[in-house]
Amino acid sequence: MDTVLEATDLTKHYEDFSLRGVSLAIRAGSISGIFGPNAAGKSTLLRVLAGQAPAHQGSVQVFGSAYADAEQDLKNRIGYVPQEPVFYPDKTVQWLARFAAPYFARWDGAGFYKLLDEFKVNPLKKVKHLSGGQKTLLSIAMALSHGAELLILDEPTAGLDVVHRRALLDRLRAFVAGGDRTVLAASHITDGLDEIAEEIWFLDDGRVVAHEDKDDLLARWKWVHFKDGALPKAIEEGLVRVKRLPFGSSGLTGDFLNLRGALAGPLASGDVRLDNATLEDVLLSFIKGA
Amino acid sequence: MFVVLSPAHPDPMYKQVTDQIKDAIASGDLKPNDRLPSVRELSEALNVSAITIKRAYQDLETGGFVLTRAGLGSYVAPVERDALRERKLAELQEELRRLVRSSAKFGITAGDIVRLTRQVEGD
Repeated sequence: MDTVLEATDLTKHYEDFSLRGVSLAIRAGSISGIFGPNAAGKSTLLRVLAGQAPAHQGSVQVFGSAYADAEQDLKNRIGYVPQEPVFYPDKTVQWLARFAAPYFARWDGAGFYKLLDEFKVNPLKKVKHLSGGQKTLLSIAMALSHGAELLILDEPTAGLDVVHRRALLDRLRAFVAGGDRTVLAASHITDGLDEIAEEIWFLDDGRVVAHEDKDDLLARWKWVHFKDGALPKAIEEGLVRVKRLPFGSSGLTGDFLNLRGALAGPLASGDVRLDNATLEDVLLSFIKGA
Repeated sequence: MFVVLSPAHPDPMYKQVTDQIKDAIASGDLKPNDRLPSVRELSEALNVSAITIKRAYQDLETGGFVLTRAGLGSYVAPVERDALRERKLAELQEELRRLVRSSAKFGITAGDIVRLTRQVEGD
């Protein structure tokens, strides 16, 4: 499987925050999600991965090249959408399209207007009259209209109402459908991106704290509800996010596949019950101090 | 009584409460005339809205599992084991119907399922 983006040991220091030794590899045709709490460094990481900011240490290669060696080519092949897109406020959407087009080798004007229609953004409106969500959708429409093969999106669903969010998620799925285009997006987990992502990266405090295939992750993390005393001690002690309630306790395990055997007995007797965990449940257990 | 709610569970919360209380009654954890926690006590203990618990208790009452005496609270009804058994059998029949149909696609017969049942019983 082709790797479209490879980052090795990225480190970037700010006064009060650092990205530390972040390495990742993104496969062609995938939808990868980078999740993490606020201030985990998602935006900083995406800016470095998109060639918008340099790292102090480490390297990024996209489509096999570093930004310094192939800037023009990479800018054409990558669509980067920051969290708060910046546009000239007094210009219309239409003007922006005409302004941007010559910068790209493969601008698709017809496609752009079709997307605007799909996203319900009026091309005659001035940017300052667009809502936050519409500005995001405009940014995404632009990223989708210059023949990009890799989309790097920072919180794309933030500020979108339920209808537009659904349209965007469907559009992203369609984007990767052929297998030769890729999406990398950072998000807060509950924004719907977790639904379409196949590869999950968890970032906390500037570091990658987990990386896994989403289905594998959800298969091994489960909620275990138990009557006090019903679990073997070793298992109970291995649970995280344990809540003691008046009528029983609950805890999360990441080791369900290995514990299945030991849990069979208590499960059959009804003293233990299992439930699926959400991605948010798992993320909370990785965050320090959650 | 062992009642723990899960937001990720396919069943709605009120149904999780109803089902788990029925299980507690069937297993003898809750005996006839045992007083159930008040709606407020249970909603605070489980951290769900009182409306959810109220709905669960109403369903239990309609089903004859619980009696509510105004001002005094809700009590486990003197439901006989047989009545509970009949109810559970009806639920089982539904599940078995589904099981038999879906297994038939794999060439599994009812006889195979009976054999499997005996095996499982022996564990």
